[in-house]
Amino acid sequence: MTDHISKEYDDELTRLTREILRMGEMAAVQLDAGMDALENRDSQAARTVIAADHSIDAIELEVGHDVVRLLALRQPMARDLREILAALRIASDIERIGDYAANAAKRSIALNESPAIAPVPGLNALARLATELLREVLVAYRDRDAERALAVRVRDAELDAMYTSLFRELLTYMAEDPRSISSSIHVLFIAKNLERVGDHATNIAENIWFIVHGHPPGDEREKRDYTTGPARS
Amino acid sequence: MSEIRLAVMPTAGTAGSGEAVVNKLVARKLGFHYGDTQALRDVSIDIPERRVTALIGPSGCGKSTLLRVFNRIYAIYPKQVASGEAMLDGENILGPKYPLSRLRSKVGMVFQKPVPFPMSIYENVAYAIRHHESLPRAQMDERVEEALQQAALWTEVKDKLKRSALGLSGGQQQRLCIARAIALRPEVLLLDEPTSALDPIATGRIEQLVADLKARYTIVIVTHNMQQAARCSDFTGFMYLGELIEHGATDKMFTNPGKQQTEDYITGRFG
Repeated sequence: MTDHISKEYDDELTRLTREILRMGEMAAVQLDAGMDALENRDSQAARTVIAADHSIDAIELEVGHDVVRLLALRQPMARDLREILAALRIASDIERIGDYAANAAKRSIALNESPAIAPVPGLNALARLATELLREVLVAYRDRDAERALAVRVRDAELDAMYTSLFRELLTYMAEDPRSISSSIHVLFIAKNLERVGDHATNIAENIWFIVHGHPPGDEREKRDYTTGPARS
Repeated sequence: MSEIRLAVMPTAGTAGSGEAVVNKLVARKLGFHYGDTQALRDVSIDIPERRVTALIGPSGCGKSTLLRVFNRIYAIYPKQVASGEAMLDGENILGPKYPLSRLRSKVGMVFQKPVPFPMSIYENVAYAIRHHESLPRAQMDERVEEALQQAALWTEVKDKLKRSALGLSGGQQQRLCIARAIALRPEVLLLDEPTSALDPIATGRIEQLVADLKARYTIVIVTHNMQQAARCSDFTGFMYLGELIEHGATDKMFTNPGKQQTEDYITGRFG
């Protein structure tokens, strides 16, 4: 796309994209760090993750401020308007992802203070996929690549399926050993949060599609989180 | 109780209220030359009845020329020639058989700079009516009041109708010009950048007036102000270098236009 007549306007839009990408990268790092703290039973590292969450919140505020300013001063139209609206929505999705990372860290401290439970192998894979989807959707945002964004949206179904299977696994643990219930529930919440990361990555993907095409993507995407009801045949 | 307006996007063929839209003006393969200069090329556009159609585009794109063709104002200049068809209610207004006086009474025009005649406020409106019909005094008074009412000027001038129109503010003068145009009870109103010389408050009044007038008239407005086109029109046409590049529902044109050239223009990417 050609540049605006006003170079300043281009600079402001570029700055908005940069803020979102920086925020997204921070959330991905937080997710990794939160999972490391959990795996290594490192409460100190977990506290660092919790403390760092406010930096993500601060960028979200900056994005909100920039969006209001752009809307008021530039009166954006067409794709510019979509870029700006999408930035606001994406920032809010990333902020939630940051909260999930901090929440995982908080729960890891609680887990460290309880007797250790048998490792839950599915959790690492779930975290890896969630972070991968986030990083992938950030690349799609950087390149304004609607097709790549849509692929993330499709892959969210994998994450849902992994979560469903982990949910069942944890149910079995809890049924077998009621002493593990408290710890298992923490793990379950962490898993649920990771599954939600995928949903937010999907939201971001849909916003990228909206920026590029001017309408939301069609076709109901596949859901495989069956923890609230039976699988459809 | 205030009127509740449903935000229904107008689409060709249907109106927000569900009634069918009739095309009042239809241009087909319209061309226009100022001497050797071609100002319009192959323009085909439907202007729906009792809707506001905005024409946007950079200077020299032909939007004002298109407006001028719709009331044949060019006919007074010998070297200006239109080709193609411009149908008003199905009749070609460019044809030699279409009487100019009939066209003038059906199609009113308001220009960028308000040009009140150097006479009283009352006479400015009455003059236009007298040109077309002779009315007894009482009826003339009614017609003048009706026009000033419709132009949302009546309450401001009703006690000074005998005073010179030149004493009015720019915004009032422009509304007087609109009153003068609608005094003839036209069916189509052509507005050529009617607010470009006005301050934002006067502009707001004219825009509100356009919204009120569309219940009775078919309005075509040429504007350089894209926000104005977005605010007050149902349909928007984007013109460039004498061609109509894209034409559609205003919502669509300003949120997700179909052509890259339209997108570049409305987002300020070329001038």
